[in-house]
Amino acid sequence: MYEMLLYFNGGAMMSKIKNITVTIDGKTCHSEFGKTILQIARENDIYIPTMCYLTKVMSIASCRMCVVDVEGVDGMILSCQEPATDGIVISTNTPEIYKQRQSIMKLYDVNHPLECGVCDKSGECDLQNKTLEFDVAQQNFTAKDQNRKVQNWGHVSYDPALCIMCEKCVRVSTEITGDEALQVKFGGYNSTILNVKQDKNYASLGEAAAVCPVGALVDTSFKYTSNAWELTKIPATCSHCSSGCELNYEVKQDSILNSEEKIYRVTNTYEFSSLCGAGRFGYDFENKDVTKDTDEFKKAVEAFKVADTIRFSAVITNEEALILQRLKEKLNYKLICDEAKGYQDFLKAFGEVTGKNLYSANLKTISDSRAIIVLGSKINNDNPMVKYHITMASKHNQSRVAYMHTIEDTEIQNIVTQFIKYEVGSEEGVVALLADRLLKDIELPVKKREFLDSLDIGYLSAESNIGEEELDALAKSLIKKRGFSLIVGEDLYSHPRAKNIAKILGLIETYTDFNILLTPPSTNALGVSLICDLDKEAGNYTIGYNSTGDYILSATGDGNLDMPSFNQQEGTITTIDKRVVVTNVALPYGGYTLNDLANICWLNHEYTIDYTKELPTSKGFSAVEFDLLPNEFSITGKENRGYLLTSIKVVKDTSLDEVEDLPDYDGLVVYRCNSVEQFSQFTSKTTQLKEDNNLVGSPVFATVAKIKDGDRVKFIVNDIEYNRVFKIDTSMKGTIAINPTNDMGLSSTLVSSYRYSKLKLEIQNKNVSS
Amino acid sequence: MSLNKFKDRNVGVQNYTLIEHEAFPQTGGEKFARVLKRTIKGELFVGLWVTMRTMILALFNGEIHTVKYPFEKLPISPRYRAIHDMLRLLESGHYRCIGCGLCEKICIADCIKMDTKYDENQRKEVTEYTINFGRCIFCGYCAEVCPELAIVHGGRYETASQQRASFSIFDDMLTPIDALKEQKEYPGFGAVSPNADDNIKKTPLAY
Repeated sequence: MYEMLLYFNGGAMMSKIKNITVTIDGKTCHSEFGKTILQIARENDIYIPTMCYLTKVMSIASCRMCVVDVEGVDGMILSCQEPATDGIVISTNTPEIYKQRQSIMKLYDVNHPLECGVCDKSGECDLQNKTLEFDVAQQNFTAKDQNRKVQNWGHVSYDPALCIMCEKCVRVSTEITGDEALQVKFGGYNSTILNVKQDKNYASLGEAAAVCPVGALVDTSFKYTSNAWELTKIPATCSHCSSGCELNYEVKQDSILNSEEKIYRVTNTYEFSSLCGAGRFGYDFENKDVTKDTDEFKKAVEAFKVADTIRFSAVITNEEALILQRLKEKLNYKLICDEAKGYQDFLKAFGEVTGKNLYSANLKTISDSRAIIVLGSKINNDNPMVKYHITMASKHNQSRVAYMHTIEDTEIQNIVTQFIKYEVGSEEGVVALLADRLLKDIELPVKKREFLDSLDIGYLSAESNIGEEELDALAKSLIKKRGFSLIVGEDLYSHPRAKNIAKILGLIETYTDFNILLTPPSTNALGVSLICDLDKEAGNYTIGYNSTGDYILSATGDGNLDMPSFNQQEGTITTIDKRVVVTNVALPYGGYTLNDLANICWLNHEYTIDYTKELPTSKGFSAVEFDLLPNEFSITGKENRGYLLTSIKVVKDTSLDEVEDLPDYDGLVVYRCNSVEQFSQFTSKTTQLKEDNNLVGSPVFATVAKIKDGDRVKFIVNDIEYNRVFKIDTSMKGTIAINPTNDMGLSSTLVSSYRYSKLKLEIQNKNVSS
Repeated sequence: MSLNKFKDRNVGVQNYTLIEHEAFPQTGGEKFARVLKRTIKGELFVGLWVTMRTMILALFNGEIHTVKYPFEKLPISPRYRAIHDMLRLLESGHYRCIGCGLCEKICIADCIKMDTKYDENQRKEVTEYTINFGRCIFCGYCAEVCPELAIVHGGRYETASQQRASFSIFDDMLTPIDALKEQKEYPGFGAVSPNADDNIKKTPLAY
């Protein structure tokens, strides 16, 4: 059945779209060939009940609730997986179908524990709703009850007695999050869901719990703390990475003895969008118990008078970025944003070749791709949502995924079809080799062809350690495919030769079918890049906004003057999708904001969001009032969130530099990379996200460095001193160790240098843990 | 009954009926005459006699009707709705409340709050439960909605205190564990109906 479905979907993509007309319940519906009956019905606002259907995964077809009658066809048709053909007449609700559906509900209710009173799902439970909808007032059938224990899997708990085996969670874990932790144990009435990777305690299982239609899978931290109807939903946007996923913070008073509001859980529109573990469990990073400290505020104003530089983190709203830019224009501050500077330059150089100020891909184009190349990013750690979309492409389109990096990542082994390892520092050569291969048979302007012809392929291949046969295999896998994506990561933005790398990538974007995605390295790196004119060198007196400086404004409470954290302020951020999305105030904040300071310093806006409509239209923003921006998905899954940036034409400068000699990174190397679902000082502050603040390396690294698992080591990278415990990860190879930075507080934002550094270790004491 | 009556918000055109009454006295003399006429009547002495008779009966026959509150109290109706009681399970002594939150939801004065948590036995545990008696209107909905007959109205009607919070602590409302044997099923709001046995259906479980 799947093959047939794929054939149909594939057919729709490859050939021209064929329009069809079907009649559903007497209503004439126009649609495209390849869509299922259920999809067409939903588009036309016709209700067909489902229990196991989940829009974002392939149809599961385990519940049989969605059956419909097609005229002239014997028996009932599963509308969730049957593509409609032209001219069919469908009825979605006949007495016979109703009886059928009622029987299904009766069977679902067999031995379902009558514990709605204490069940967390009560009030938003699909089983409750459908049981009432189909008027099942008593349990008509019976089976021998089994003793099934509640299982605590860490982030989520599983109650097999409540499970209705719809398999949504399994599909999400395989097709979306890609952790593949959940499996179905088949056995008729004894069927159950198994967590085969319990030891890993994936936070991404939160997404599997979100789609559970009953109370079988729930977040352990939320379990039994509140009824769903007591919580107030605050529609917002996740602030941890550049994907800017839609979410709702659900708040209620902390407890009877403490009437302050608290976030109880995070939910999302799971039908159409997803949320990684950091978004779901990393919500308690608010700046608590802040009051207006007038003395400190005066000091802050004084500091602004003395200062000549503002250094800030890219975890900032567009509006705040605009305030800083305005301050720069009025008072000539230097603006330093280490997280976004490299990205801004990279984007600019890239645009000089493509002629546009933005890249072309987005998350949707990735999940629709048939071939994906990931270059220069440990993507599972850098941006989980990009990884989820690669997983979707891999599982839904059998997409080829080539992962080009210096370190093999075992966590994404299941979706990567080809791993191409290159040497640290050789990124420029790698990009040149890639461009040479992808542009081989394409007509190019003479100068560009000359540039490619002048490449010393033998030298580049030898130094970057990429064999020609590897690129041959890659190119071969692209034949007869459509829809290519090239995902570019943080390693390249901070590379000393970033500008030339960006320009070569620009060639690929311009002359091939590849859509390039320049993954923004931090939450609003794209917004900051577009709004602010960033400087390279700091001056004498620096004000740090969530970053280091002589006077510090901090939303984590580590600085001189407190600032609101992301869940305590409203504003917009610019996401990887080039979309400006809205976030709202979930928790109260009693202190001063950047806007208060700016108003003292000769700017005049009552609220921060008054700047929303002033975001620069010359960079692609729209002049829309904050309050008019939507933040929702339509019933058919259309993303009505904020607005999309418009791509602006920029002046071309297509001159390319020659590829320089590739640098040598022999010996021990450290790679700056946070652990999975850790991004910044804010995720570091949350209580539920696990944090491994260790230097992690392979057994080979340990041998070369002459250290053992558990040794405490000291080293200096970019003038920051790290004291870490060394841990061996046997799945790793080579002499590159991974060092997280997000636990370093304010200095975790100082990431302007190349992600790899040569390492000099100082062993402090041996084997502290053993 | 149609809802039209409630939807008619045009209160200006209602039919008022005037009450007929005597003409009002105009001069001072007329007003004084009316005072005298209303005050001095034969019924005055009938009233005085009733009082005197009761006094004589009380003094000499001991027929007294006054209740010496607070030393004595009159029994109140079992359906009287006063300060709530939280009941315990007779078998285990554990409190009956399962923390479902229905009372919290149904409360029209919004005065019930509860805190619950996931306990070590992987069950829902009520950690805190309060009723704000400054807001409670003693409507009885909470007792009626309770699926476990855990919250009921008790007979404690003396609700004067320096702090109303004195009544609202979960442990104060809960049957004392040593008085468990005296705990009575409450016949009032939320109680099992007298013919409850007749309404019990056989469960469909076949084994």
